[in-house]
Amino acid sequence: MLKVIISCFLLFISTHVFAGGFQLNEHGARAMAQGGAFAARAYDASAIYFNPAGLGFQKQNSVYVGTTLISPTSIFYGPTNLNLGTKNEMVDQLFTPINLYASYRINDDINVGIGVNNPFGLGTEWEDGWSGKFITQKVDLMSFFFSPTVAYKVTDQLSVGAGFNYVTGDVTIQRYVSDPFDPHGKINLDLSGTGAGFSFGLLYKITEEFSAGASYRSSIKIDADGTAEFTPNRSIYPGGDAAASLELPATAFVGLAYKVMENLEIEADYQYVGWSSYKELKIEFKKDASSTVSPKNYEDTYIFRLGGEYTMDALQIRFGYLFDNNPVTDTYTEPLLPDADRHGYNIGFGYKVSDNIVLDVAYLFLQFSDRTVTGTAIDFDGVYQSRANLLGINFGYSF
Amino acid sequence: MKSFKILAGIMSVVLAIVIPGCSDEAPSDLPKSDLGSNTVTKYVSVGNSLTAGYQSGGLYEDAQMYSFPNIIAQQLSKAGASLGKFEQPIWGNPGSPDATGKASRYELISLEGPVIGPRGVAAGTGTNTALARPYDNLGIPGAVLFDFLDTTDFITKATARQNPFFPHVLRSATFGKSIFEQLRNISPKPDIVTFWLGNNDVLGFATSGGANPNAPTSAAAFGALYAQALDSLRAALPNAKIVVANIPDVRAIPYFTTVGPAVAADLKGAFAISYQKHGTNGPGDGSSYLTEQNPPLLILPSSSYVTQIGTPTGKYYSSNNKPVPPGVDTTQMLGLNYLNPIPDALILDSAEQATAANAIAAYNLTIAQVAAAKNAVVVDINAIFNSIKKDGYNISGEVYTADYVSGGLFSLDGVHPSSRGAGIVANEFIKVMNSKFGMHIPYVDISTLPGIPAPLAKYAGKKFMPQLTASASKNIRDLWK
Repeated sequence: MLKVIISCFLLFISTHVFAGGFQLNEHGARAMAQGGAFAARAYDASAIYFNPAGLGFQKQNSVYVGTTLISPTSIFYGPTNLNLGTKNEMVDQLFTPINLYASYRINDDINVGIGVNNPFGLGTEWEDGWSGKFITQKVDLMSFFFSPTVAYKVTDQLSVGAGFNYVTGDVTIQRYVSDPFDPHGKINLDLSGTGAGFSFGLLYKITEEFSAGASYRSSIKIDADGTAEFTPNRSIYPGGDAAASLELPATAFVGLAYKVMENLEIEADYQYVGWSSYKELKIEFKKDASSTVSPKNYEDTYIFRLGGEYTMDALQIRFGYLFDNNPVTDTYTEPLLPDADRHGYNIGFGYKVSDNIVLDVAYLFLQFSDRTVTGTAIDFDGVYQSRANLLGINFGYSF
Repeated sequence: MKSFKILAGIMSVVLAIVIPGCSDEAPSDLPKSDLGSNTVTKYVSVGNSLTAGYQSGGLYEDAQMYSFPNIIAQQLSKAGASLGKFEQPIWGNPGSPDATGKASRYELISLEGPVIGPRGVAAGTGTNTALARPYDNLGIPGAVLFDFLDTTDFITKATARQNPFFPHVLRSATFGKSIFEQLRNISPKPDIVTFWLGNNDVLGFATSGGANPNAPTSAAAFGALYAQALDSLRAALPNAKIVVANIPDVRAIPYFTTVGPAVAADLKGAFAISYQKHGTNGPGDGSSYLTEQNPPLLILPSSSYVTQIGTPTGKYYSSNNKPVPPGVDTTQMLGLNYLNPIPDALILDSAEQATAANAIAAYNLTIAQVAAAKNAVVVDINAIFNSIKKDGYNISGEVYTADYVSGGLFSLDGVHPSSRGAGIVANEFIKVMNSKFGMHIPYVDISTLPGIPAPLAKYAGKKFMPQLTASASKNIRDLWK
């Protein structure tokens, strides 16, 4: 049954993902509306992502499904190292990552569940033939995490959980080839691969008012292969089989939640992201055993999250804020992923349609700090201005 | 989905007002483009083939559009200069003729091999010949430093040198009898002059393997000519900004660095190749060899002959209509028997390399000293080319190297920059103008400049080891006469 639900879902929703770094953190509208600060409560089945231990305290079977509409915009002014301030606008795209969770209560103490979501991905596209065409024209990266999870309620105060992550990844890279010819060759790389990792978490209800949660998801190495297609197809190009590997970073949450009054809860989370795993993107071409290497040298980073929820009968009003410290140093900032520190402003609501159906809606405005980079490794300096609007919608059904 | 995008747009506007530091305005610290406190109404360029926009063995419109002076003129205009049209002596495609009237320009005929050479099509004709004043680009392919002030009849000179470019650029003595006189007659008076002569004073020696002429212009003569040239220029244009460029090391260009390493890769262990030393015209001396440790600088046209090393051949002599020198025995294996050595004209041996290097060092010292005395600024092209040879040139994710064809920086003749190479040269001039004159001229975006038109044919090998046609090799050398 579950398989059928999943496959139907995948059929109907075209899934591309945008995120920074290329991590995506919106995996459930209830959490999203609270700045993603959810690890110390993890009240719904999205606990499979935020903190598997959260399932241990849930008293019903449930299904929680949703999507996030993401509309990013980005402008690059430059390259300033050529004394140019040309305005380049990223092509408008709409991304719709999904999330789907199901949990089943085996007994009073043990819950199992499975999650499907897209924790990593990106999509950027620039006008064809623009100044940065040798760096990137278009990139689409998407990943699916399939996460069977089990949680065990150790005591009424403590729950632990663990999960396995099976990951599929697909990437498309298009750019022009730095060759001496006219017209320049254009490469289209299509690669896909799989990987596996694990996650675990614990959730501790310290007092009636305070609860604390922590979770960890391991890094996952994806070995991808596929084809490199060149246009025009000159035989000097290494067209044909190609391969790359990518290590998705580990991430961890630590959160503390506080019940301010009977109908108001707030939570603060610290999220660590082990981006230093992303040292370079190396693409190997089988035809002539050659390779191209783009150094990335990302750094480990963190996201600070703050959020709350105010309950009025069937309606819950939610709000939040996040600060996402970007992992890319100035030297390696590039239009492939025009990253910058982000401030996120969240609002949303939850509405109890009936005893066992909820509707959650979240809105997030991501404001990227203007980023001026000079001395970049690829000699492509300039100013990046980015922002994104995100709208999350989830339905929950418990039984 | 669409309505969400509209909503997202509205939210962006609303939040832009509400949230501090969040707005759609362009950043205030973007580079400005202007001429500082300068007024520029006329720019004139003086030089040789490098200034003319000569590429791939010919002067033709598609290349002249990307001559470095034309690029500078476009960029000056973007910074606010009111230059009008920068007039060039355009030679319509496929460009200037060889001795037989066919277009001399080489093309990449096939990536298989690759095959590079003229297509054997009829030459083009001048398209801007009616201009009733001297051209703004006075670069003349083949011009040496001496030609700048030389007022002898340029038509006679051109005929003697088999050089069609003097009459093409200078056209009529009524515009001025020399390059200098024509520059002086341009109105309005130039505010900026780029002056890049002297390359051919050593290139003629080097590209002929040290054979014709058998020495570069002497340092003393070069020094005197350069001082005279800048004296005259400064006297005629007391207030103009004069930008000169020095002379790159010939050893940094693919004309010399392509065939040698390919041959050297085959020189293993005791394997050695006999060659004619500088100034000799007979058999090898039986004791001087090109070896793995003493790799040769073989000129690009030698690629037609080095593939025959080890076979009994006199192809070099027959192809070039030269008598087989006394003592040379073409029934012996080329290069492997000292009686049939690699001809001197195909090789810049270590003595010849030293001669060229010493000449260039002396020229560049002269250029620095005279420029300083005449209030001219210097573009150190020599340093830039050496750096490119060593590390390549990286811009906007694209990497150029000094490698022949594949490097992207040089045109198919291995001497002259490609359009993108010309863009890099233009940017180096602009860099100096910006820093010395307080200008903020935008640089040309190299990624927008065209590469070498490529055939869609197959290419099997990994190395570009060109098979230049015999007529192509002759045209290259003829240019320096």
